[in-house]
Amino acid sequence: MTLGSVMTTDQSRGRGSVREVAVWDPLVRLIHWSLALAILLNSTIIDEDSKVHAWVGYTALGLVGTRLLWAVIGPKHARFSAFPPSPMRTVRYLRAVFAGEKELHLSHNPLGALMVYNLWLTVIALGVTGHMMTTISFYGVDWVEEAHEIAFGWLMASVALHVAGVAFDTWHSGVNLVRAMIVGRKNWPKGRETE
Amino acid sequence: MKWTSWPAKPKERRATILAGLILWQALCALFFIGDVIEDFREDGHLDDPHLFLETIAALALVAGVMFLMVELRSLLARMGDMQVGLRVARGNMADVMKTFFDEWALTDAERDVAIMILKGLDNETIAEVRSTASGTVRAQATSIYAKSGTHGRAQFISLFMEELMSGEFGGGDSGETRDPSRSQSGPAATGPKGQETLF
Repeated sequence: MTLGSVMTTDQSRGRGSVREVAVWDPLVRLIHWSLALAILLNSTIIDEDSKVHAWVGYTALGLVGTRLLWAVIGPKHARFSAFPPSPMRTVRYLRAVFAGEKELHLSHNPLGALMVYNLWLTVIALGVTGHMMTTISFYGVDWVEEAHEIAFGWLMASVALHVAGVAFDTWHSGVNLVRAMIVGRKNWPKGRETE
Repeated sequence: MKWTSWPAKPKERRATILAGLILWQALCALFFIGDVIEDFREDGHLDDPHLFLETIAALALVAGVMFLMVELRSLLARMGDMQVGLRVARGNMADVMKTFFDEWALTDAERDVAIMILKGLDNETIAEVRSTASGTVRAQATSIYAKSGTHGRAQFISLFMEELMSGEFGGGDSGETRDPSRSQSGPAATGPKGQETLF
């Protein structure tokens, strides 16, 4: 209680060193963690030949679909325009990282943005090939099953890279990204360059 | 560091619930769309009333989702505006406090104590926080009241309340708002003026 008061006093005196910026709206966060849960469930405990596996897959597809719609309708940071897939910007960002510069991004950083698109496309590919396996014309067709397997392997590798990227960026930029995706706000060091 | 994802503020809670509903309804909409497409594949007759109604329902759900999304976006925008307003007000308040403290020539220790008084801490707690004797804090508080021309805690706090309530607050660069000389004779002198601007 008393300690808490000290903290607030100190913070108000050091006002301006860090401020919180609302970045991820509740819909973005909800979709993110739902999709993570769907991927976790379908890749681990759910039997892949079961009906549940298919329904969880369709749900994942629906989550991505909703997110894409939100990226057109939604607020600034959730929009495509906040994180356009741009190799040029990614190269520039990587150079800056290797040069030890710490530029901060309110939305995804350019490399993270590429991962976002990659993850969405992979989930869509999994959903489509997964659905094809249930249809009469593609049931038991080898290349469809293989494509589903390959997409799954790709997704697992991507998720691992995604988690590693988040860990790296949290360490590199000092902005706790996991917390940002839970509470929606980034702790923003004031006076830092933003993009 | 706060980690709670369940928001305490009503507006934020509203946004979270709205987001949940959007997601729920979007998934329902996609289920219906998928169902309609399946049905069409099996035997495509639009004049089938069942299929027709299902199509209508699916479209209504999609329209609902998009409407709610627009609604959520404007709610978030309004919350953002409010946040900016609050930050400006807070910044101004800190400026006001600093101007007052400078004018009264408070020492660093007195500034700390004054801030804690304004935050509503009692002398015992302030002493604990600053790890000094409560007698020291009492002396510092007395000095603060003397320098600010007030007769005690309540009157001292009311000086700042006055600033918050006056219509001029946040109204640009009105030097008068931040002029502590007005308050030096005590809040009684500024009282009537404050009321005038308040109503």
